[in-house]
Order: sequence, then C-alpha cells, then structure tokens
Amino acid sequence: MKGNQSQSALKKLLYNIADDLLILGHRNSEWTGIGPLLEEDIAFSSMAQDKIGQSLAIYELLHQLGEPHPDTVAFMRNANQFHNCQLVELPIGEYQFSLVRHFLFDHSLLLRFQGLTDSSYEPLAQVSQKLVGELRYHVMHADSFIRQLGTANEDSIGRMQTALDIAVPYALGIFEKSPEEEQIISEGIFTGEQNLYDAWCREISKTTSLTSLKLPELNPEQAITGGRQGKHTKHLQLLLDEMAEVFKLEPGAEW
Amino acid sequence: MKMDSLDPRIKRWKLQEQRQEEYSSSSLDQLPTYEVFIQLKEGKAFEHAGIVHASTADMAFLFAKEQFSRRYSCTGMWVVASEQVWVTTYSELEENIYDHIGQPAGEENDPQDDFDVFHLYKRGKQHKHVGQVKAQDTRMALLKAKASFDTGRPVLNIWLIRSINIQASTPEDQVIWSTLSEKTHRDVISYRAGDKLNKFKEKHNEG
Repeated sequence: MKGNQSQSALKKLLYNIADDLLILGHRNSEWTGIGPLLEEDIAFSSMAQDKIGQSLAIYELLHQLGEPHPDTVAFMRNANQFHNCQLVELPIGEYQFSLVRHFLFDHSLLLRFQGLTDSSYEPLAQVSQKLVGELRYHVMHADSFIRQLGTANEDSIGRMQTALDIAVPYALGIFEKSPEEEQIISEGIFTGEQNLYDAWCREISKTTSLTSLKLPELNPEQAITGGRQGKHTKHLQLLLDEMAEVFKLEPGAEW
Repeated sequence: MKMDSLDPRIKRWKLQEQRQEEYSSSSLDQLPTYEVFIQLKEGKAFEHAGIVHASTADMAFLFAKEQFSRRYSCTGMWVVASEQVWVTTYSELEENIYDHIGQPAGEENDPQDDFDVFHLYKRGKQHKHVGQVKAQDTRMALLKAKASFDTGRPVLNIWLIRSINIQASTPEDQVIWSTLSEKTHRDVISYRAGDKLNKFKEKHNEG
C-alpha cells in the first residue's frame, strides 16, 4: 500500500477526518463559559478539547507521511484548503442546534473510527482503537440529550425538531465521496462512505425512535456537499481568522 | 445592563444590542443534586467524589464522568440522588458513631432490600464504600452495618443507600475511560509563563 497514488488517497481521507475534528472542536469550544448549566459547560468543553486532541493525533499521522507540522496545517491554511464537511463549520446557533449537530456528527465519527480499527494502514488502525473510547462517551452524551430534550415538553421537542430539520441536509454532506473513494476502499484503508452512511442511518434512527422527534427523510440527493473539495460557507474563514489570530502574530513563537 | 466584553465570542453575539430579559423562573433555578462515587482501580472500594446537578440520573452520570474522572482513568462510577442518601449524625472528635448504635433486637421478618454502607473516617476526607447489608429499613440496616463493619476504628459518619437507587456504570461503559494516553494538550502545566515573563522584563529593563 505504499504507492504514491494510494498515499494521496490516504492523505485525503486523513485530512477529511482531521479537519472535521479541528473545526468542530473549535466551534464547540465557543460554548465554554456560556453553557446552559455549569456541569454541561464542563462536559461540552471537555469533549471539544477531546476533539482537538483527536485532530492532533490525525495531523501527526499526516506529518509522518510528509505533510507539514500540525500547527502549520491547523493555523496557516485558508478556508478553501480545508476538507471538513460544511456541517461542522456552521455557527453554534442556539444550544439545541449545537446538540443536534453533536448528535448527528458524533455518531458518524464513532462508526468511522470503529471501522478504521480494521484499516490496512496500521498506524491509523492503532490511533482509531484509542479514539473509540472517548467517542463512546461523546455519543452517550449526545444520545442522552436527544432522549431527554426529545421527550421533555412541547418547547424542547419543537426546538430540537427545528434544529434537526436544519442540520440533516448538512449532515448528509459528511458522507460526500472524494475522487479517491474507490481506491480508499480497494486498498483496504476504509470501508467507504456508503457503508458508513448506511450504518449511521441505523444508529441515529435508533435514538430518535425513542423520542417524539421525527427524523427528516434521509435522502442523499438533498445532501449539502462541497466541503470535502474545499467549498465552504462564509462562516469557515471567520472561524479560521479567529482561531489563528494569536498564532499569526508570530508564527515561529515557542509556547 | 450594558455588557462589553473582550471575548470575541461574546462580541459576535452582539448582546449589547439586545435587551437583557430578566430571568425569573425560580422553578428552573436549581436542579436536584446527585452524589457521585468513583472506583479508581479494579477491586478498590468506591469512594465519594462530589456532587453534580442534573435533571435525571442519566444526565447526572454524563456530567459526573467529565467532572470527576477526567484527569485520571477509573474503572467504575455510581450516581445516586442526594435525597436517597440516608445520613447518620456526625460524631465529634475521635468518637466512633457505631458506639451510639445498639444491637439488633431479634430477627426481623423479611429483609428484602440491599443497602450499601459508606464510612467517613476523617473529617475532610470522602465517604468510602465498605459493603452491603440486607434489611427491611434504614434503622435495621444501620444495626446490621454495625454488626458487620464496626471494627472499633472510629467512624465519624455513616451513609446508607438502597442499592436499587444507585445507577452504576456497566462493564460495557468502561471503554469511555480508555482514552488517548497523550494528553499534554490538556495540561496547563506545560505552559510556563513565569520564565518567559521574567525574560521579557529583563530584556525591556535593559533597553
């Protein structure tokens, strides 16, 4: 699996994953200090920090494959060089939106890393093994909130439903295939976005079926895509400017 | 109230331009509390770690995991609503609270409930799980706890909890504590500002 071609396919997959994690980690960290209650503020902030740590683990893999240092990759690229799906870059909105995004995205993430524990790229399989534990908690957290707020009262159910309706088309964009998709599958790097999507549909329906929420029809044709090719909403560049503000004051500074 | 913040997130929300509505829902002010117990290693006793506020035991479990088992790994966690914890009075000084508890007066009829028993050995420390007794009610459970767990070592306070009221982590939950071992990005410790600040001052005093 050492050909140049498959290495570029591997790198593409790794960038998709790491960029998703970094951007969502940063987004979710925006709740730190202003979460709805102290305990949840701590839990949500902690998970945001987990995601940034997970992105670092994947950027390290890329670094070993010859890509620049993780800090450079994280702070010095422009929006059109990021490969995250658009779901993760959207503003935090009200809390229900952040929770619903967390639910939709983290289910895909857990399944993705569970699948990657069998990756033919051994270093990735090993990192995935370690991330699965953290992600199990993230999904447990998301599911509990969906069950709680998806059944509590008319107000909470209404808010969650609206957020779900808005977020689902973006969530379908998580599974946007890259041109390297076939190669990623045939090389045994990953079982592919279609498999992941099928498993994801089953998992999120399991949770929503325990609530009064109605999962919008999951129609891949309504997916909002483009993120994996560097096409983003205007929100991403604003996020990057803010995230890299300190770093760019003096890029070589030692911390 | 006019709010001005240096935090870019707050500025982005443009809170200044919105009327700050008075928050006056006292019924939502305070959620009930749950007591959290942590087991640090397989085979070790569960120990009280602290409390969290939450609307349900499930939510309490979520919050407890991040608040009390974030910086180190652990092997199990219990949460229980604070109102379900039955507490003896505290003894003063080195007095053993069990010395104030009598012997069981005859056998009770039908002991059905399991109770978990926790001891406090020292003020400022946490309650530690010592074991279980079967009893009909807390009064009887206390008498049985004395029979089983009073070693003469002073116990300053005792908690009794009906075991069915404890929400315990399952063996499948354990995976949530196996995380990335490399966590230096979480430590503020690796950021040493003091030296840099001194260096900066020196440099500028010279100049």
